[in-house]
Amino acid sequence: MDPFKTLEIEPRYDLDLAAAEHRHRELSRALHPDRFVGRPASERRLALSRAIEVNEAWRKLRDPVRRAEALLDRLGIETGETSGAKADPELLMEMMEQREALAETRATRDASRLAELTSAMQHREKAVIASLSSTLSRDPSAAIPHLAELRYVRRFLEEASAVEDELL
Amino acid sequence: MTLIDIFDPKAAPKPVGIDLGTTNSLVAHVVDGKPRCITDCDGDALLPSAVHYGEHGQVIVGKEAMRLAATHPRDTIVSVKRFVGRGADDPETRRLGTYRFAEPEGDADGKVIKMHVRDRLVNPVEVSAEILKQLKKNAEGALRNVGGAVITVPAYFDDAQRQATKDAGRLAGLEVLRLLNEPTAAALAYGLDGHKNGTFAVYDLGGGTFDITILLLDEGVFQVRSTGGDSALGGDDMDRALAEVLLREMGFPEDAGRTPELVRIAIDAARQTKHALTDRDVVEVELPAKGGATVCPRITRAMFEELIVPIVDRTGPSCRRALKDAGMKPEELDGVILVGGSTRVPAVRAFVKRMFGTEPLGDIDPDQVVALGAAVQADLLAGEGNADDVLLLDVLPLSLGIETMGGVAEKVLPRNTTIPAGARQTFTTYADNQTGFEIHVVQGERELASDCRSLARFTLRGIPPMPAGLARLEVSFDVDADGLLHVSAREIKTGIEQKVEVKPSYGLDDEQIEDMLLDALDHGEEDLAARRLAEQRVEAQRMLMATRQGLEVDGDLLNVVERAHILAAIDALDGAAQGTKVAAVESGIAQLDMLTKDWAGRRMDRAIAKAIGGKGVEDVARSVEGAGGIEAHLGSEREKG
Repeated sequence: MDPFKTLEIEPRYDLDLAAAEHRHRELSRALHPDRFVGRPASERRLALSRAIEVNEAWRKLRDPVRRAEALLDRLGIETGETSGAKADPELLMEMMEQREALAETRATRDASRLAELTSAMQHREKAVIASLSSTLSRDPSAAIPHLAELRYVRRFLEEASAVEDELL
Repeated sequence: MTLIDIFDPKAAPKPVGIDLGTTNSLVAHVVDGKPRCITDCDGDALLPSAVHYGEHGQVIVGKEAMRLAATHPRDTIVSVKRFVGRGADDPETRRLGTYRFAEPEGDADGKVIKMHVRDRLVNPVEVSAEILKQLKKNAEGALRNVGGAVITVPAYFDDAQRQATKDAGRLAGLEVLRLLNEPTAAALAYGLDGHKNGTFAVYDLGGGTFDITILLLDEGVFQVRSTGGDSALGGDDMDRALAEVLLREMGFPEDAGRTPELVRIAIDAARQTKHALTDRDVVEVELPAKGGATVCPRITRAMFEELIVPIVDRTGPSCRRALKDAGMKPEELDGVILVGGSTRVPAVRAFVKRMFGTEPLGDIDPDQVVALGAAVQADLLAGEGNADDVLLLDVLPLSLGIETMGGVAEKVLPRNTTIPAGARQTFTTYADNQTGFEIHVVQGERELASDCRSLARFTLRGIPPMPAGLARLEVSFDVDADGLLHVSAREIKTGIEQKVEVKPSYGLDDEQIEDMLLDALDHGEEDLAARRLAEQRVEAQRMLMATRQGLEVDGDLLNVVERAHILAAIDALDGAAQGTKVAAVESGIAQLDMLTKDWAGRRMDRAIAKAIGGKGVEDVARSVEGAGGIEAHLGSEREKG
């Protein structure tokens, strides 16, 4: 399923997220199950599946990793994590170290250290997204390593967020 | 077609909103565009959520049941909401209380809680249904004929708790239009009242549940950003904490010697004391003491506040997490809405003010606000209000996952995903000629499936025999607007839909609900058949009306042959609906449903085009050919670029 097609917006990485959200709202107004109460079962089922598609499309497009995957999918470029693209060993090493540091803050419940790690990684996320965006517009097939790096960064941030939940 | 007779003594059915609360329940409806709570014959809007089972099988609900709780603590169920959708092994069932829980009879019996009352066993769905029946009766007194109902649930309720609530509605003979999250209902009551825009937090501390929701109000759109909470935290816990103190004063510091009657007296006195301390600094409570004497302990507000600090503090992490999930800081909020009777406690208000740094809003009665919002939604869903102006976008409160090898819960849908939502997951067989498959669905944030809430085990059957690893099973997890999970599966290679058997971990299956329905009706089978016919007739009328309206608006999307078939099916269904054969009505519905399926798709495409705007009739006409209008549009764009 192509989320750009579902929301009928121009496929590009540096999306106007506010405009895309507005589009999601417009479609939700037309398709939300609440609009189909008291309608025949087939219409209700159909509207439900369309509403799910619209929500799913918006969920994909607002996520920088899944948005890149959707763009590459359109171009027929394999994006799966097993797509053969070898991970940069240097990046792997670095990420392992970062995750060890994260595990440590979890054990010591060190909130300020966690905030440092998170903020550093958020800066990096911005930089990776910028390079991913420019590669995607010039040479999409060269975007895979950037996408791989973004996945690592995002996964780290997700884990950091889970640790933050524990410390709240 | 039968004409609507304006002299018909039977009034038109009116939609209602129901707040099925832990301590109190309410029913409301919209009059002249304004929601109002329906009162009982004494003029009270609040119906205590207490159900008393009498000696000769009679059931008493409300104030009278509450009074009887003191003398018949075991045969009177209060706060049943705390047990809804929970298992007998849940720690919640083992806390300070007075009930006799029945041991489950083996695995087949499931893990549904059952309680002994008099000489029978009841489960929480049945008890909740009694409360709903009473509300329905009160509403019928005011409206004569009650139509569909919107029933509210805590936003943080999981799938099992939601399903149990819906089952209770069905058992009470209500058509449940929608399960609506309580904070969203409250926001609806506020939002429509003041036409407010901005981001709000709804802090909802009820009798037994706590919810915190961050939502965005924007020109009629109520979009939930995040939600969190605790479905076993509320005013009840304050009562129990204070009851412990009172029981000590009464001379029962230990469990030994405490009878259910004494515990009930202490809990009731604690609740009254809590209420009195809202406006007063000191309350003296008269209590029976050990040995027949009377004690009169003085409880100060300061004592009470110190006692409930741990309870109120437990709401803190949920608030911080909800803010974090919404990506907001407290100072960015435009306001905090208070919901639930427990927010009357001054210490709770002070806590909310500290947490969010702003004076919370409470201009709508926190006991009534949820029911009022539910009535607004019911009105909109029944097509009475101006539905085009309002859109409720709610979220999944807890992540949905499936158990994988090694017992890890793999998330298929993360918490705070906008609903309706769906996810697909592909599985394969691990043995040659394997024809079945079991999937364990769990809900929660923990890493291990065993630490999450078990929702159900789904068994897939009928996979064509193939070598191991060759079959590809695509399983769809769909969560509807009520927050309820539906699972379907198909084998991709053959395209065969797989049969999915659901075994809810804590809920009741369809057969059990059917049995309960039979038990509840006076003439069993006969009544059930009559009820089914009535239900099918309603569905038939609904379908006829929708199809006729559709023909007027979108008739141009049909070709001559399709139209002729549909018109014939309309006549057939109309005829069947006048008769008394359920099967004929059902097959008429199925026939019309089948014939209008493709057309419904085209109409949906047209609606989408209209929603997006700026699309010409030509594009829509193209969609008649079966191609998605959107695809056609984008295709031409790609060619250009």
